[in-house]
Amino acid sequence: MDPRFNFPEDREARSAARARALEALLIEKGVITAGSVDTVLSFFETKMGPFNGAKIVARAWTDPAFKARLVADTPAAIAELDLPAGMAGAEGEHMRAVANGEGVHNLIICTLCSCYPWPVLGLPPYWYKDPTFRSRAAREPRAVLNEFGLAVPPDVEIKVWDSSAQIRWFVVPERPAGTDGLDEGQLAALVTPEAMMGVAVAKAA
Amino acid sequence: MLTRFEHFAVTTMTGAADTPPRANGALCFGQEWERTAFGVALALARDGHFEWEDFRSQLIASIEGWEQGHALDDPSWNYYEQWLAALEQAVIEAGLASRAEIDARLGGASA
Repeated sequence: MDPRFNFPEDREARSAARARALEALLIEKGVITAGSVDTVLSFFETKMGPFNGAKIVARAWTDPAFKARLVADTPAAIAELDLPAGMAGAEGEHMRAVANGEGVHNLIICTLCSCYPWPVLGLPPYWYKDPTFRSRAAREPRAVLNEFGLAVPPDVEIKVWDSSAQIRWFVVPERPAGTDGLDEGQLAALVTPEAMMGVAVAKAA
Repeated sequence: MLTRFEHFAVTTMTGAADTPPRANGALCFGQEWERTAFGVALALARDGHFEWEDFRSQLIASIEGWEQGHALDDPSWNYYEQWLAALEQAVIEAGLASRAEIDARLGGASA
């Protein structure tokens, strides 16, 4: 076999051995514990991530009064839910929800990715900080959404919201048709980060 | 103040030269060892064994070193290889373990 094809696999095995050896050594020395890695990762897997935004949206879909409160005073409405601390904005910045529907589709963009509310929306994709995406989305959002595979009907207005250090926007997409029998947990599974950014819509499974 | 170190750590990397790989809004690990390397680095910085910004400087330097020696589209690029190199360096500089101890452990582990 061509040795070039072996190379990445060997490297992979070597990296795996190095990472395991380092962890084992630090555990042996009492610097970390056997549970340290899982403790750190559980934070990202269960506490902060796009599943929080999905829960907020699913509640808005099932409770119109909550949805009204969410749009009127987003941090206060988020605080009603049993989400980990810091969701509603820990540093005095404000989360603001904008709802799709009634002839309006919302799209959020942001210049500074450090402002992105990732504990709610999830970590931003690479293209999100691309200056070309941002300027084109502001100038010709309909064309950009078309390129994302989202054809917004001509009679639906597209509103573009630019997040800043002070205000961080997210979109409440419309509840997809054919989801009447679903509970809140099942509905949350239909809410994607892209739908909460407005570059996609939520779809029934 | 950010509420948790983990929140702070990933926020500082978002959109910067050391932005970690992600998929569908979540951190993305190709292999278990990548998750291990990520978790060990955050646990050590959280517990004050080294400064997060010092680790990041090491990681960014490691990434720049790779980029100088490889084409931008080199398919053998692996973000967490650079992470692991930076982590080993940070562990050694913090005096938590020596290069010799790590190598000895590695010899035993791979035997």
